[in-house]
Amino acid sequence: MKNSFLFGLIVVSLGASMLISLALGRYEIELGTLWQLLVWKVLNLGSAPHDVTLLSNIVFNIRLPRILAVVLVGAALSVSGGAFQAMFVNPLVSPGILGVLAGASFGAALGIMISNSWLGVQFFAFLFGFIAVLAALGVAKIYGRSGAQTILLVLGGVISSSLFSALLSVVKFVADPYNKLPTIVYWLMGSFSAVDMKTLASVALPLFISTIILSLMGKYLNILSLGDDDAKALGVRVTWVRNSAILLATLLSTLTVVVAGMIGWVGLIIPHIARFLVGADNRILLPMCALLGATFLVIVDTLCRTSMSIEIPIGIATSLIGIPIFVFALRNAKKGFV
Amino acid sequence: MSFYEVQNLHFSYNEKVILKGIDVCIKEGSIVSLLGANGTGKSTLMKLFLGLLHPSSGEVILKGKALQHYSIKERASHISYVPQSTHVAFAFCALDIVLMGRIAFESWFKRASEADVILARSAMERLGILHLEKRTFQTLSGGEKQLVLIARSLAQGAKILVMDEPVSGLDYGNQLRLLETIITLSKEGYTFLKSTHFPEHALMLGGYTYALKDGYVLAHGDTTTILTEQLINELYNTNVMLKQTLCGYPVCIPAFVNTK
Repeated sequence: MKNSFLFGLIVVSLGASMLISLALGRYEIELGTLWQLLVWKVLNLGSAPHDVTLLSNIVFNIRLPRILAVVLVGAALSVSGGAFQAMFVNPLVSPGILGVLAGASFGAALGIMISNSWLGVQFFAFLFGFIAVLAALGVAKIYGRSGAQTILLVLGGVISSSLFSALLSVVKFVADPYNKLPTIVYWLMGSFSAVDMKTLASVALPLFISTIILSLMGKYLNILSLGDDDAKALGVRVTWVRNSAILLATLLSTLTVVVAGMIGWVGLIIPHIARFLVGADNRILLPMCALLGATFLVIVDTLCRTSMSIEIPIGIATSLIGIPIFVFALRNAKKGFV
Repeated sequence: MSFYEVQNLHFSYNEKVILKGIDVCIKEGSIVSLLGANGTGKSTLMKLFLGLLHPSSGEVILKGKALQHYSIKERASHISYVPQSTHVAFAFCALDIVLMGRIAFESWFKRASEADVILARSAMERLGILHLEKRTFQTLSGGEKQLVLIARSLAQGAKILVMDEPVSGLDYGNQLRLLETIITLSKEGYTFLKSTHFPEHALMLGGYTYALKDGYVLAHGDTTTILTEQLINELYNTNVMLKQTLCGYPVCIPAFVNTK
């Protein structure tokens, strides 16, 4: 009962923050006018507001793709963070645990250096995100017979992350300091400003579907948290479940880098807040992570693009907002990993 | 036809030989105790029986068919595992834990069905722990936790329960209550394979005993006949005496090994 109420509340807040985000910006739109436009455009009811071409252009071509991307990325990062925390039974795990973010950042930087198109950058980010995770899995596999899978995966992730961070430094070091380096640095701070309909169209479906599937894997992740032997004896194909979850979370994380560069902390703190709200049962926790992450990122992104005359990179904002929340969450975590 | 057995089972772990040719035969409805000092391969043998490890050579045979030819779901419908202590990181309520026994038989992404919930609750009722269903697992006492895990096995529908030192960590009263639960369930047709550190518990339960030492079966037979002073002292390098009691089974009288 309490949970349905919470879910309702978060869905309403998500809708409200999306609406407000659509209205806010350099060209501010009255909420009434926005409503009139949406009703007219989507439901074909009522009459068109004044300046309908300008308004539709701002709302549907500029702001809407960006906001939808923010919603998808926020949900994706939070769900993959939540799933990894459940899988590794560790509250300090973030989506980057297996090296996916380091790999994707390196790929993006490499793409910026050697290719001139955004498509190339996105392709390299995606490719190296997966390569980094495969490297982590490979390291775990070398010692994989001795059973303690999760700790080996963490080790593999640490190794892979360090490797790709080092490679990223190499790229930064050799990149043209006047032209390419600033682009790389800015990309690594994360931003949704480059999102257009085309980017959104290419990533929306995989992001949406993977988020939904991963959110629904909660009951299997619950079983996984009992430990491998228990889960296997209960008739769960542990390796299969774990690999599917890793695959989905990797896909989600790399796609977020493809869309918006590096956005830290969301995948770490949102699961904590969600756990605080609905408890640790992953069947409820993961969908809550998705909704909460989407809402959080819409609010932060709106602040980023409206609070100052220049846009604040969202990666910086999420870190600055995330760290105090995390300190608070850790204080709470002393009572036990609920 | 054999019910549940291993023949000439060898197992090594990273080149370290642990089991060197083990034969164990378990009859349906019996209670089989595994005795042996730490590190003699009791847990390994049980993991092999559960199919969690694969033997280097030899086979585990369940109802005339090699265990590896069962699908993981079929296996779960025959054999269940009651671990020594389940580390539950998340705050699940007892009923959720018991319902996890049904996971292999639920369809993907669907919530537990009404029938599964009824099954889980009736398993808890049988063990007299239905009043705990809403309690968080971590807040339960050791004995209650063990009963919840046994209820999970019953809900799983498996008739063979493999228990790794089921009484370790329980207080004295709960140890005895747990042994009683095992006897009751075995009378209802459940088969038990359990390891124990207490020869007395094997004696109380009766049934059959396998004594492992250095990767071999040192002795096996009906518990009351084979479990002698000599065997216990040889297994554990101790100095105990067995005394027949009026309850029908002997008890161990321990003595210090080195000091007098």
